[in-house]
Amino acid sequence: MFDAREDALAGARQHANWSPYDNNGGTVLAVAGESYVICAGDTRMSSGYNILTRKFEKIDKMSGKTLMASAGFAADAVTLKKTLKARCKQYEFQNKREIGCVAFAQMLSNTLYYRRFFPYYAFNIVAGLDAEGKGAVFTYDAVGSYERTNYSCQGSGQALIMPVLDNQLKTVSPLVLPAASSATPLSEQEAIDLIKDCFATAAERDIYTGDSVELWIMNAEGVRKEEMALRAD
Amino acid sequence: MFATRSEYDRGVNTFSPEGRLFQVEYAIEAIKLGSTAIAIKTKEGVVLAVEKRATSPLMDSSSLEKIAEIDAHIGCAVSGLTADAWTMVEHGRAECQNHYFTYNEPMPVLSCTSSLCDLAMSFAGEGEKRMSRPFGVALLVGGKDDDGYHLVHTDPSGTAMQYKAKAIGSGSEGAQTALQEEYREDLTLKEAETLALKTLKAVMEEKVNVTNVDVARIAPNYVKYSDPEIQEIIDRL
Amino acid sequence: MIPRRTAHERVIGPGVVPHGVDPEHDALYRGRTARGTVTDEVLRGVRGRPFTIDGKAREKAPATRTQTPYVTGTSALGLKYAGGVLLATDTLACYGSTKRYKSVERVKRVNDKCAIAFTGELSDFAYVCDLLEELTTEDFCEDDGTTRDAEEIYQYLTRVMYNRRSKFDPLWNSFVVAGYDAKGEAFCGTVGMIGTHYADDHVAAGFGNHIARPIFREFYKPDLTEEEAVEIMKSALYACVMRDKQMMNKFQIAKVTKEGVSIGEPFAVPTEWGYEKFYNPTKFSPGGW
Repeated sequence: MFDAREDALAGARQHANWSPYDNNGGTVLAVAGESYVICAGDTRMSSGYNILTRKFEKIDKMSGKTLMASAGFAADAVTLKKTLKARCKQYEFQNKREIGCVAFAQMLSNTLYYRRFFPYYAFNIVAGLDAEGKGAVFTYDAVGSYERTNYSCQGSGQALIMPVLDNQLKTVSPLVLPAASSATPLSEQEAIDLIKDCFATAAERDIYTGDSVELWIMNAEGVRKEEMALRAD
Repeated sequence: MFATRSEYDRGVNTFSPEGRLFQVEYAIEAIKLGSTAIAIKTKEGVVLAVEKRATSPLMDSSSLEKIAEIDAHIGCAVSGLTADAWTMVEHGRAECQNHYFTYNEPMPVLSCTSSLCDLAMSFAGEGEKRMSRPFGVALLVGGKDDDGYHLVHTDPSGTAMQYKAKAIGSGSEGAQTALQEEYREDLTLKEAETLALKTLKAVMEEKVNVTNVDVARIAPNYVKYSDPEIQEIIDRL
Repeated sequence: MIPRRTAHERVIGPGVVPHGVDPEHDALYRGRTARGTVTDEVLRGVRGRPFTIDGKAREKAPATRTQTPYVTGTSALGLKYAGGVLLATDTLACYGSTKRYKSVERVKRVNDKCAIAFTGELSDFAYVCDLLEELTTEDFCEDDGTTRDAEEIYQYLTRVMYNRRSKFDPLWNSFVVAGYDAKGEAFCGTVGMIGTHYADDHVAAGFGNHIARPIFREFYKPDLTEEEAVEIMKSALYACVMRDKQMMNKFQIAKVTKEGVSIGEPFAVPTEWGYEKFYNPTKFSPGGW
């Protein structure tokens, strides 16, 4: 009897509505080479047609050999990364060694999956060097499905960039025997140029991608950063 | 040894004025009543060997299990209260699977043993999971991980110590001395098998045969030896 | 005498409950009325009992009055300049579309390093102020000579807002946080209702995102003097008050500098309403009269 009453009221009342999610846009990308990995992301943060800020960094170093980039709902992405960083630290204390990127990749998948019914609205890429020092890229959906690949792109510019990467970086099928390396054949510098082109391209047509792109380049020497300006409109 | 014992040996969480926890010391004593177990670490793997003491000739010796697999890369030999050992082994198995589930990699041996030691300390805690007494069992945990082979001894106090070779149980004193004399850094796995059974033979009352010993190796995976394989080692003695 | 429950409850609200809604209560009252006389009308529910509630229905339905905003403030603006950070709001709190409270200070000084301004629900802001007071008290009790800086307050608010949205019980506010970070550099950030947060040279919460930020983007430079920054802020407020119906021409600008927080006196910006077309909007339009 009260349900009916509530329904009647709800119909009559002007309700201020809210959603627990927002899409703050942005594009992230990673390319794995034989001995390097590059993780890139634009720095725009949007909400609807507003640009909220032009200097929001989407990439974080999670452990010595692991980078993580996230697009989507920024508050979820930040929270997710904070949680994972804490768990990386716990791993370090428990196992007396830094977490590797393969272990981290599985942990992220599980973390996302445990929140399956109230997901983190974040599109993630994990980039790192595996135990052999080979570049590794892991790409995810919001509820934890993941796959190790040699390149991936996620976020608002995904549809614009992914086909270009497919065209430029497609390598030997992992099904071929004897197994051949599926790492991109490009040199580090060639891959950097390709990524910069990709972002410049996406920024032309995707309003949620722009302002600047940051590239984190990881190889045996360590991690270094590059930045390039993009369209700011 | 327990000359000073008094009312201080009742509670598991009460130190004696000399700073001892008698219940824990008694638990460690309980292991010395258990059957002998020996483990030897080499560069090629870890060998575990235990004595199976049948209390009656009518007893089926196959039901005496004192060597267990914890994960594909970790195994352990036990001495003391076997029922307690199984609680710990089950815990170790769960932890290893959980580590694999979360991180997609085998659990490091020392992480596994420290989680076993955490369990061994559960008599000291509070709440529902609190044990009323310490575990009366010692484990010899052998395993392989990224850092190579490990041999870890855990006791009821929750202490984990890494060893090159270690004996526990009733014959441990004699066996440990023998191991100390015979151990070399460059032992092969085969030599370690022989040394383990030789040492076991020396401290056992019965004559060694396939029914009263168990042998396993971790090299790099856990393998429990079949009767013919054990016989082959016995023949080498 | 049986005590009567007389709360004004949202489940039923003040008013009359018909017989049959609350069987337990009915059982108590079988054969009685408030005046102690039995009437058939009461028993049949023709006449209800005044001001009673259905306790069970209340358990079933959680309070929803906290899930929509009632008394709200609109835009809050933040702008860095060479010597500090400015915060600006008007002093209005609306009840729906009613300009209900016209002298509300929408800026709070947290400590010497930090001040915040809010948009959205006034009472939720009061609650957040309580939380911040607790932090300030902790800082005082620790007595170690340090206080939480602006970035820490900003991160704290982010967690509070995000956690509440994750419980599907959001605090209906956005905040602008201004002050100094741990390195002693000026800080200006904003936290949204669902935990969205970012720091920038200039920020705006609420409708000001559309109106004020384009002005900030055009005129901001890192070496702004205080006077210049105040002028930019005033022109942004002017733009807001001209286009935001929830905004009022009575503003406060607060500044956080190395010297601390000072919240300025309310002021108005000059506006011009004397245009002929304002007096006679349809004068030159075809078909007008």
